Amino acid sequence: MLFRQAGIFHTNYAADRALFPVPADRWMIALLLLFAVAAPLYMNSLYLSSYMLPWLVWTAGTLGLNLILGWAGQFHLGYAAVMGIGAYAAVHAMRAGIPFEIAMILAGLTAAVIGIGFAFAALRVKGLYLALSTLALQFVMDWTIAHVPAISGGTQATLQAPDIRLLGIPVTSDAGLYYVALAWCLLVTTFMLNLKRTALGRALVAVREKDYAAAVIGVNSFYFKLVAFATSSFIGGITGAILIGTFYHAATPEQFSVDVSIQALAMVIVGGLGSIIGSYFGAAFILLMPGAMNSFISWAANLFGLSLGIETLAHLPQALYGALIIGFLLLEPLGLGKIYGNIRDYLLVWPFGYVKK
Amino acid sequence: MSEPIAASVLSLNNVEVVYDYVSLAIKGVSLDVPEGGMVALLGANGAGKSTTLKSISGLLTAERGEVRRGDIRFRGQSIGGLMPQDRVRLGIAHVLEGRRVFEHLTPAENLMAASALHSRQDMARNMERVYTYFPRLHERRATAAGYLSGGEQQMLAIGRALMTQPKLLMLDEPSLGLAPFLVAEIFQILSRINRDEGLSILLVEQNAIAALEIVSHGYLIESGRIVMHDTAAALKKNPDIQEFYLGGAENKNFRDIKHYRRRKRWLT
Amino acid sequence: MDPLLLLESAINGALVGLMYALVAMGIVLIYKSSSVPNLAQGSMTMLGAYVVLAYANNAGAPIWLAIPLGIVTMFFVGIGIERVALRRLAGRPIIMILMMTLGLEIFLRAGTMTIWGGTARPMPIGISDAPLFLGPMLINRAYAVGALVAIVMFGLFVAFFRTRLGVVLRAISDDYTAAWSVGISVERGVALSWAMSAVVATVAGVLWSSVQGADQSLALLLLKGVTVAVLGGMDSLGGALLASVLLGVVEGVASTVLDPMIGGASRDLVDAAMLILTIMIRPHGLFGRHDIERV
Repeated sequence: MLFRQAGIFHTNYAADRALFPVPADRWMIALLLLFAVAAPLYMNSLYLSSYMLPWLVWTAGTLGLNLILGWAGQFHLGYAAVMGIGAYAAVHAMRAGIPFEIAMILAGLTAAVIGIGFAFAALRVKGLYLALSTLALQFVMDWTIAHVPAISGGTQATLQAPDIRLLGIPVTSDAGLYYVALAWCLLVTTFMLNLKRTALGRALVAVREKDYAAAVIGVNSFYFKLVAFATSSFIGGITGAILIGTFYHAATPEQFSVDVSIQALAMVIVGGLGSIIGSYFGAAFILLMPGAMNSFISWAANLFGLSLGIETLAHLPQALYGALIIGFLLLEPLGLGKIYGNIRDYLLVWPFGYVKK
Repeated sequence: MSEPIAASVLSLNNVEVVYDYVSLAIKGVSLDVPEGGMVALLGANGAGKSTTLKSISGLLTAERGEVRRGDIRFRGQSIGGLMPQDRVRLGIAHVLEGRRVFEHLTPAENLMAASALHSRQDMARNMERVYTYFPRLHERRATAAGYLSGGEQQMLAIGRALMTQPKLLMLDEPSLGLAPFLVAEIFQILSRINRDEGLSILLVEQNAIAALEIVSHGYLIESGRIVMHDTAAALKKNPDIQEFYLGGAENKNFRDIKHYRRRKRWLT
Repeated sequence: MDPLLLLESAINGALVGLMYALVAMGIVLIYKSSSVPNLAQGSMTMLGAYVVLAYANNAGAPIWLAIPLGIVTMFFVGIGIERVALRRLAGRPIIMILMMTLGLEIFLRAGTMTIWGGTARPMPIGISDAPLFLGPMLINRAYAVGALVAIVMFGLFVAFFRTRLGVVLRAISDDYTAAWSVGISVERGVALSWAMSAVVATVAGVLWSSVQGADQSLALLLLKGVTVAVLGGMDSLGGALLASVLLGVVEGVASTVLDPMIGGASRDLVDAAMLILTIMIRPHGLFGRHDIERV
């Protein structure tokens, strides 16, 4: 980020519309990619599999939710249910002997088909009512998964996932699983980056801003909302499948409950609506926060010589998590992505702050 | 300060209003309403009439607008930083454009809601006064205001403003969407209130013909600027006003019509 | 199926439904005044119950004193929530406002747990366990008391909305710009509606925890409250009352019929189905006056 732009020198449209018009950005991203690919070499496997991997998977999920929330502007309180559908579809497919690659696609398709069901709610109502109907669908989905033994896998309600195999080669090492997550996250990121430049992306933004105004200029808001829900659910379904395949290794209903939906929502809000880099920040923030908060609380308790009860320790991080959401909404409603953007814009022209950006 | 400040109940000095930090709605409006006077602010759609009124009553904040420059004084006191309810307390009443009565409340309740700042005795007295000016409201006091006719709703909106015991009554297009005889009736009542109680009135209108009949002075606003200010009689005689606001073409021989319209001379 | 059993479930269901109305009325009060759908109503209910318990157990006040003390405390908590969290969000997109109430939900629920712990506690308000007999049918006494209190609260609100202050609040919910223009302090009105909502939440919390004990599950009443509020029309108190009876009866009968078939826990499913059906078929509810923007 420590670089300055001395002017804009694009000489053709292609350069102007490049994903990263600033050369330093390209260098930085190349460097980050290098670090990401080399991570298994310098990172110990605990960090790799319990921090990096879930972060990448959740980032993909956050991007999927951001597509519907930030781009298409449709509220979705049941994203965990969509992920759960994908996860259960994939696990069942894999247990039936279907290879992981195809099981993933199946997961995405199943989630997309049911996600379109959510979309039919979106086509009739908006705002609050859409939020509530997706919330209700989340409850229906929770209930169905928990109460239908054929889905949840019986009374223990834990469904073991077989080890994943890609192209017939079993992937079990931490590094291998990490690369699966990394590849998926990068794929989704690339898709989202390019979405901005396509007719689909622009149509979604038009629908978000005012759907009937979009309809007047010939954007079929019905169709694009459907596409947005289907695409977002497809991403969510595959993300759910990968989450089970690489991280949890077993599926339970609690992994996709309403709390998880709210957590995904928090990732989007904290990261910033419609911000891609923000989705990375948001997922990291929400995932890492409970652990960091726990260490901080016990450190602070030691410092002040307080002895906190077990109940307090169990619930305090959750309370602070709620407080953080409130704090972000009050102080920076556009989230970490916006904060990053502000700093970047400032540094781009520093020390000539009066320059128009 | 050559203007007679002491005699004016309201004076705007070079007020500039910006919406959403970018769009400049009025650009340096200055006007005076003399104590007990009746002044009209005329102009076409989007000229900045309603914005001017909202800057006075403080309702701009609800629409992300802001007075960026200039000074608004009410009876000599600068009111720029006050909340809307404090301005009402000082005696500024604003009758919003499009009537905006509380539709689900009855007229009696509408009047009751408008006297939040007053005691019960004051409320009863004010209500009595409103019913004397607008007997029709008394007849229909128990029906939901949403079912009143347009004229009755306008009367209710004015009556509601009177409940706040104002020193200055500002009306935003009270003639909007009303039949001419109703406009005449309402304007007559307005000038009666002005005469009987010495209530200062600032009237914003597109219907210049009706407005200039009852006011003493008029300001003409265009594209956010005051472009003309004179007595009502002088304004009525002004050929530009006649052409553009009073439909002056009516006694013209159509054979003489030129192929170009008369240019507005005050514009640069 | 035995018709008498069905009737019994219907009556008990209606009584439970009226207790849901206590939660729904809180949502309606806030939505009416400021169009904010309060998803934190469930955790406000829970907080209310715990505050009352804190006065009773920790401070040693008798329960008849602890309840009014709790109500007064919650009145100010409601004002505080509006002042700190919601006022600055006025005019923001609905996504932000919903997220704010969700954040409040998490904060209040976990905050309550942090302070008072998660184990269920009894709320002894002196209702005996013995059922009431209506002919051969058993009626749950606690539900009957709760339903009665709900109706009384409703009556109090109706009476309040006829007073001068109540008329002012209704004026705000009609048109807040117009309310501003006649000198009504809209912010204070909205704060008052939050305060009243917190009060009714406390009452709901006390009654519900006398039935099931005070614990985290009180916050789940949100789903019932939201369903009732939407079914009643979001901004109609009378609608909420009627919808609560409707939902209660459907829930009671459905769970009697369905539970043996699908192995229990059909109540939540019925709720969710009612909510979805209402939104699909009649989004403005039974008595809602808000016209929903449709595509």
